[in-house]
Amino acid sequence: MATKSVKTAQRYAMVIDAKKCINCKACVVACKAENQVPLGVFRNWIDEETSGEYPHLRMSFDPEQCHHCADPSCVRVCPTGASWQREDGIVLVNEDDCIGCKYCIIACPYDARYHNPETHTVGKCTFCSHRVDRGELPACVETCPSKVRVFGDLNDPKSQLHQLLATRRYEVKNPQTGNGPQLYYLL
Amino acid sequence: MERRTFMEIIGAGSLILPPLACGLRRPVAAGPTFLDGIATTCELCPNKCSVLAVVKDGHITKLNPNPDNPKSRGMLCARGNAAVQQVYDPDRLKQPLIRVGARGEGKWRPASWDEAFDYTAKKLSDIKAKHGPEGTLWSSTEGFQEIFFKNLGQAFGSPNVMRHPSLCLASVNLAYSMTYGTVPSFDLLNADYVIMAGANRFESIITPDTMDLIGGTMERKAKLIYLDPRFTVTASKADEWYPIKPGTDMAFILAMMNVIIAENRYDKAFLESETVGFEQLVEHVKPYTPEWAEGETEIPAQDIARIARAFADAAPRAVFYAGRRSSWYQNDFQMRRAQALLNAIVGNWDRQGGMVPNQKIAKGEFLVLPWDDPKAARVDEVEKAFPLASAKDGVYLPLRENLLKGQPYPVKGWMIYKQDPLHALPDQGKTMKMLDQMEFVGVIDIAMSDTAWYADVVFPESHYLERTDPIEVMPGIWPAAVYRQQVVKPIHDTKPCLEIAQGLAKRLGLSDYFDYTIEQWVEAEAKELPIQNGLEHMKQRGVVAVSQPKYGTTRNPVHRFLTKSGKIELFSDRLKEAGHDPLPVYTPPVQPSGGRFRLVLGRKATITHATLTNLPWLHEHNPENDLWIHPEPAAKLNIQSGDLLEVSSSVGQVRIKARVTQEIRPDCVFMLHGFGKKSPWLKRVHNVGAADSVLLETAWDKVSGNAAMHETFVKVVKA
Repeated sequence: MATKSVKTAQRYAMVIDAKKCINCKACVVACKAENQVPLGVFRNWIDEETSGEYPHLRMSFDPEQCHHCADPSCVRVCPTGASWQREDGIVLVNEDDCIGCKYCIIACPYDARYHNPETHTVGKCTFCSHRVDRGELPACVETCPSKVRVFGDLNDPKSQLHQLLATRRYEVKNPQTGNGPQLYYLL
Repeated sequence: MERRTFMEIIGAGSLILPPLACGLRRPVAAGPTFLDGIATTCELCPNKCSVLAVVKDGHITKLNPNPDNPKSRGMLCARGNAAVQQVYDPDRLKQPLIRVGARGEGKWRPASWDEAFDYTAKKLSDIKAKHGPEGTLWSSTEGFQEIFFKNLGQAFGSPNVMRHPSLCLASVNLAYSMTYGTVPSFDLLNADYVIMAGANRFESIITPDTMDLIGGTMERKAKLIYLDPRFTVTASKADEWYPIKPGTDMAFILAMMNVIIAENRYDKAFLESETVGFEQLVEHVKPYTPEWAEGETEIPAQDIARIARAFADAAPRAVFYAGRRSSWYQNDFQMRRAQALLNAIVGNWDRQGGMVPNQKIAKGEFLVLPWDDPKAARVDEVEKAFPLASAKDGVYLPLRENLLKGQPYPVKGWMIYKQDPLHALPDQGKTMKMLDQMEFVGVIDIAMSDTAWYADVVFPESHYLERTDPIEVMPGIWPAAVYRQQVVKPIHDTKPCLEIAQGLAKRLGLSDYFDYTIEQWVEAEAKELPIQNGLEHMKQRGVVAVSQPKYGTTRNPVHRFLTKSGKIELFSDRLKEAGHDPLPVYTPPVQPSGGRFRLVLGRKATITHATLTNLPWLHEHNPENDLWIHPEPAAKLNIQSGDLLEVSSSVGQVRIKARVTQEIRPDCVFMLHGFGKKSPWLKRVHNVGAADSVLLETAWDKVSGNAAMHETFVKVVKA
C-alpha cells in the first residue's frame, strides 16, 4: 500500500488490531504521562460498543487517536499555520502559533483534537514524535499489554507494519473525507 | 539472559510479542547500557512488572516497560503508568501522624519519627505487659518489604502474624498442593483449549497470563470457553460464554469428568503411572452426568459434553485454568480440587500448553538472628480448625470472630502494613468493631486508607519509586528475579518499611534482629543469583530471567510428587483423615429468594483491590461505582440507570446508583471494589459510590478458611 503524498524516506503510520484490545486504558494513561495531557481531555481513547440481548451479547473496542492523514483537513483550515505536517507524515501543532480558534477541532473527522484548558491552545496526538526522533516507539505502542498498535514506516518493506498491510485485510475510517487517514484497522 | 535470546525463544514458540517495528532503537539495542532510565519494579499490583523510570532534574517524568522481564512481556498497564502520579500526589501521607481527637474524627497531630516510634513502642509494650506479646496482631498484604514487618511481629513474640492469602488465593493454592504437592502455572502461551471460570483475565491482569491469552485466542486461534455470571471483557473475547448459575462450577467440572471417563478419553498411561485414586474417581463421578449438571448450572447438557470432548481431544494442550482470587464460596477448596482432578485425568501435567510446575531462580538469603518461637498458639486457632491450611499465613475471618469474642485470649494491639482491612475483609461493620476494641492501632501506608483514618498512629511509607527493596523471585514457566531500586530520594518525610521496623525495634529492645541495612540484605541475595556480578546486573537491568521454559522435568519414573503417596492424589487420604471429602462432593449452593440477588465481585484493570481509585489518571476511567442489575428485575423494581438505590444485606446497607445492563444474570448484582471511602484524604472517592465490604457477610471455605465473598444476598430498592 503506497500513499500518494509520500516522497520522503519515511512515512509513519499505525496499524491497529482492535480485536486484541482489552480496554485496559494502559495506552490512555501512558499518553497522559508521556505528554502531560490535562485531566478531562485525551490524545487517545477507546470507543466501546456493546450490542445484543442477554445472553447473546457482543462487545468491541476501538482504539482512537489522530489518524495523521495524508491530506489533513486540520492543517488546511488552520489560519496561522500552527497546524502543520512533517515530511514523515506526522501532524503536529506548533503551540506558539496557535491562537486557539478551534477551526481544526471542527475540521477533524475523527474528533482527535482538543482545546487545552491550561494553555488555551489545541492539543493532539503527536505519534510521540519526540520519542520517535530518539528512535523509540510511541508511548501507547510500547506500553500496550496486548500489543494492539503497530507503529512503523510505510515505506520500509521490512517493517512489521508494512508486512501486516501486505498480508492482512484492513480498513481506514471515514475514507470519504478525502483526508487519507493513516491509521489502518485490521479486519 | 540476553534479551536477544528471549526474543528468539518467544519467536520459536508461538508468537506473542510482535517483532519490533521499523528499526526503532528501543527496545532493540543490546549491551548493558541500553536502558533509558533506572530499572526498577512496579508495585501498583502484585504482578511485579519491570519498569524503566525516566528522571529529569530529579523528577520522575515517565515510566516505561522494561522488556527484559519475560513475565511482564514488555508491557506496563494503566496503573503502572499512573505510579508517577502517586509519588507527586498532594494527598499522600507526608509525615508521621498521631491521632488527637476520637478515632475516625480526623484530628491529627504531625509528629516526628522519634515521637511516633516512642508513642507506638510504649503502647505495644503496655499491651505486652498486660496481655503478653500474643495480645498484638500484625497484619499485612503482599509486598517486597512485608518480610520486615512480619519479622518485627515475630521478634516481638506474637504468634498472630496475619498474611493476606485467606482473603485471596488460599483455597486454590491448597487444592493444587493437596493434589500435586505444588501449585503449578498454566501455559497459556501454548494451550489450544482454555476453560476459565470467573477468572476474568482480560480485566484482572495477571502476567504473563493475560498477554499470553490474548495471543492465544487472537493470534493462534486457541479456543477459550468462559463461565461467568457477568459478560466481562474476557467473556466478549471468548469463543463461548456461559452465564453459569453462580456457585455451580463444580457441577460443570464433575460432569466434564463424567464424560471424559465414560468415553475413555482420559490419559490412561499417565493416570496409571502418576496418580492414585483413579478407580474411586471413576465411581465417584458416575452420577454427575451432563444432564444432571444442566439442572444445576443452566448450561445445556450437550454443550457440557461437547466441551468435555473437545477439552480431552486438545489435551495435553488444554487447561482448566485455576484462577487467582479464589475467595468465592464455602466449597471453594473442593471446587478447585475438582479442577485439579479434571486437569490430571487428561494428562496435561508438565506438558507444553498444559499445566507446568514452576521453575524458580536461585537467590541468596540474608541471615537474621533467629528469635524464639512464640509461646502462645495463634488466636485464629488455625492449627485446630483448619489443620490443612497454611498456619503461617493464618485465617483472617475466623481470626476476627475469635478476636471479637476475646477467645481464646484478648488481642488489643493491631499493627497493619499496606493493607486496608475495612475494605479487604467482608463485613465492614464487624471490622470496625474489631478496630473499636483495640487499645492501639498503628498503620503503615503511603496513603490515608480508611483503616489508617481510624488508626492511632499513621506511619508514612516511602513510595516504591523512593525505596530500595529486597530482591523478589517470581516462580513460573518463565521465572524471574526482580529488583526494586530507589529512583528518587523520598520527597516527603517518609521511610521504607525496614526503617520503620528498625525504629520500633530499637525502642522495643529488638534491635539485634534488625542490625542490617537494605543494601546488605540485597547484596546477600544478589550473591547467589545465577548471573555474574548479580548486584551490578540488577542495578543495570532490574531483572534476571530464565526465558527457556522447561517441560516434562517431572515426567520421569523417579520423580516423587510432594504428596503423602508421592503421586498425584486424585483420592486424598489426608483430606479423609482431616474429616473432609476425599473426592469433591457437590452440594447445591443456597440460592437467593424473596426478590434478593446474589452480590458478585470482580476486578477492573484500572483498580488494584480497593486502592488506586483516588489517582486522577485512573479515577478518570472509574469516577464512581454503580450496581449492575439486569433489565428484567430492574423493570419489576421500576429501576432505571442512574437511579439511586438502597442495597442491603443482613449486615449492612449502602446507597449506590443503578446501572441497568444486559451484561449480568438476572439473579445477580455486581459492584466494583474501591469506592465509598470514609477517609476524606481519598477525596475523589470519599463518600462516592459504595463499599462492597459493607454488604458482604462473613463466610469462609470449610477446608482452607479462605473468605467466601459470593455468599451474600442483597435486597435492592429505589432510595
